Parts: sequence; structure tokens; C-alpha cells
Amino acid sequence: MTTADLHTLTGAYALHALSDRESEEFAHHLSVCPACAQEVRELRETAARLALAAAETPPPDFRERVLAAITETRQLPPLVPESDHRRPSRWRLWRHRLPQLALAACMVIALVAVGVAVDAEQQVSQQRSATATAQQQASKLSQLLVAPDATFHNGRLTGGGSSTVVASAQLGQVAFVYHGLPTLPDSKVYELWYSKGGVMVPAGLVSSSSGSGAKLLDGSPTGAAGVGVTVEPAGGSPRPTTSPILLTALDAT
Amino acid sequence: MHAAAPGERPVGPGPGALETLLDRVSRGDQEAFETVYLTVSGPVLGLVRRLVRDPAQSEEVAQEVLIEVWRCAARFDADKGSAMSWIMTLAHRRAVDRVRSAQASSDREHRVAVRDHTPAYDEVSEQVERRLEREQVRRCLGSLTEIQRESVMLAYYRGCTYQETADLLGAALGTVKTRLRDGLIRLRDCLGVTS
Repeated sequence: MTTADLHTLTGAYALHALSDRESEEFAHHLSVCPACAQEVRELRETAARLALAAAETPPPDFRERVLAAITETRQLPPLVPESDHRRPSRWRLWRHRLPQLALAACMVIALVAVGVAVDAEQQVSQQRSATATAQQQASKLSQLLVAPDATFHNGRLTGGGSSTVVASAQLGQVAFVYHGLPTLPDSKVYELWYSKGGVMVPAGLVSSSSGSGAKLLDGSPTGAAGVGVTVEPAGGSPRPTTSPILLTALDAT
Repeated sequence: MHAAAPGERPVGPGPGALETLLDRVSRGDQEAFETVYLTVSGPVLGLVRRLVRDPAQSEEVAQEVLIEVWRCAARFDADKGSAMSWIMTLAHRRAVDRVRSAQASSDREHRVAVRDHTPAYDEVSEQVERRLEREQVRRCLGSLTEIQRESVMLAYYRGCTYQETADLLGAALGTVKTRLRDGLIRLRDCLGVTS
């Protein structure tokens, strides 16, 4: 294959559409063709946008399974290149290929680490129960979290739990990401608010049953100076009836 | 940024937010991993499902990918691209491996050609397009020529090699290679992707 031919393989390589042998050959070519490597980077970023567009809501117990599995999975240390002069000159070439080799090693061991049986029937019913709205939420949330202008504000809630408020003026969206929120009695619910010109505007309810999760705020953050959380009677209130357990300032949007 | 409310700790501006989280994950921070999970689990599962189809197998593969993000967070290299791109590349690679190994064993057993046991392009395309939540992606895919779009979608969402793609589309191998590249380049420019 000529060099000119090789250049045209960036697309097929970025999409894993080459055979293993061709892919290996092309990976080798990448180590000597910085322009090709740059193009592959860009085309992979592009492909990632296709993945974001296909987002789906995972079934409810999926998160628990993943989080349980990571507590039992040892993390790999970073790759630390050793100093060149103590190595044969081939080392330089290999260093270019190391990320790929490391990736392959990561893959193999992860396969061994999983081994979790999946109850197929249960999964099917859970897939059915995932609503279109929830899927849209998941997709929007992913987009928000990687928006170029997204800001993240961590906070602790009075009464327990921690949160991150993620906001993007560009997308006109705000999300409330929470961990370890205490369970409330059935008669109460967490309510989110925008603070607009000194007035608290309802921005949706958060059920406390799961304790951790994320919620996209209802309505537009335009003109909001901040986001607040209160505990309200079930069903929510048009205005806060208790003191906020969290107040977070936002950029002017 | 306005003056921060009491108890609030800004964790930095948008670009690199996921990269910052991965850095914390690489040091064993499980809370940071939970936020990474919230960010990427939807696209990871959605992408794997497009390729693998079977719900139980898809969840298995998606779980492997997410555990791999945890295991290999310290090996993520920001010089080689964004964190989102790294994770989606892992997910796509894993899904493609699963699809091809299943295909290889089924080929050995039944000697069935790809085209006989895979659904028609239109069917797949319709399923994928129905799912595309993101208007911009839909619009930009629409700006590709038909053969560019079909090639990209068969390779990315179906996990076809360029040889299989050429076979399904009845096009020459060289044409498909070129269309995969110029299709993605047009998509890149339309989406304003930078790296």
C-alpha cells in the first residue's frame, strides 16, 4: 500500500472499520505521520458526537452494578516513560505505540474483571419501562456536562448530601447532580428553584428515593442569579415554604 | 462568576471538566467516578446498543467499558484527544469486538454471509435516526451525500468493516474508504469539532 493510500484510511481507522492487521499497520503509520494522527484525533472527536446523539437511559440497577464492580477493581498506575538514554533507540518508536498497547491491556483485564451474570428477562422489561422523556434527559445531561462553557459548582446540603450544579449559558440548561441525599418521608419532596430578580421560580422536583442522581432543571435559566433547593410538601409548592438547604450562584445568562 | 454562596467550591470552567473528573478518578475518587458515570453512561450504553442490539449483552459490554474507564483513568492522555472521545472510542472498540467475534463464530457454524444475517440498511438507518436526539447531528448527517452518510452509519452504528460496508452498498472498496474519510471530515466541519 502506498503512503497516499494510507492517508485516506484515517476515517476507516477512526471508526474501527479496518481489519486487525490493517489497523495495526495504520497505527504504525500514525507514529510517523503527525498530520494523520491529528486527523484521526479530530475524526474520533466527531464520532463521539454520534455516540452522544444515540444516548439511552440505562436501567435503574445498572448504576448500582457498575459502582459495586469498581469497588472491587484495582486501578492501573499511570504509564511513566523511563529516561531515553538508558534504553535502546527502538524505545522511541515503541513509545509512540504505547498508548495503543496500554489500551489493549486495559481491555483484556477488564473482561476478566466483569463476569457479572445478567438476568435477560428483567433487562427486557426495564428497557420497556425506560421512557422517551428519560432518554431525552440523559442525552441532554450528557451534552450539558461536556458543553464548552459548562460551569461546575460543588456544595454541601444542609441536612446531608453533596451536590454539583452544572450550568451552560450556551445550551440554556442547568442540572442538579446529587449524591447521598437523605430520604424524606412520603409527605415531602426536594424542590429546585431559580432565583430571578429576587423571586424564587419553581424549577422541578427531585425524588429522594434514590439518594443519588441528576435532574435537569425545568424552565430557562435566563436571568437567573442562582439555583436553590428546599424541602416542600409532596407535589411541590409555587413558592418556597422553608429555608433553602442549598443556594448556588450562577453566571448571568 | 458571581460571588460564590457560602459552602460553594467552584471546580473550574467547562473545557476540561470531564478531564478534571478523570484525573480525580485516577486517584481513586469514587464520587468523581459517579459524576463521570452520569455523564457518559447514557451515550456508552446507547452506542453499544446500536451495535450489539441484544439488551443483556449490550449492558454487559457497557459495564465493561465503564469499569475500564475506572481501571485505566490514569492512562488517559489529554494530548491524544478529549476525555469524551477517549471513552466513546473505548466503547465503540469493545462493541465492535463483540459484534465481530459473534459474527465470526456464526460464520464458522453456518457459513452465512454478512448480508444474509444483517438487517437492511434502511431499517438500521431508520432506527438510528429515530434515536438521534441531537438536532445538530441530524442536520449535519443530512448535509452528507447519501453514500457518505450510509458508509459512516454502517461503520459506526453497525460496526461493519469497510469491506462489509462496500459489499452492503454495492460500492468499490476504494470508494468506501474515501467516503468514510470525507464524510467524517464534512461532519467534523459541520459540527464545528476542534481538537
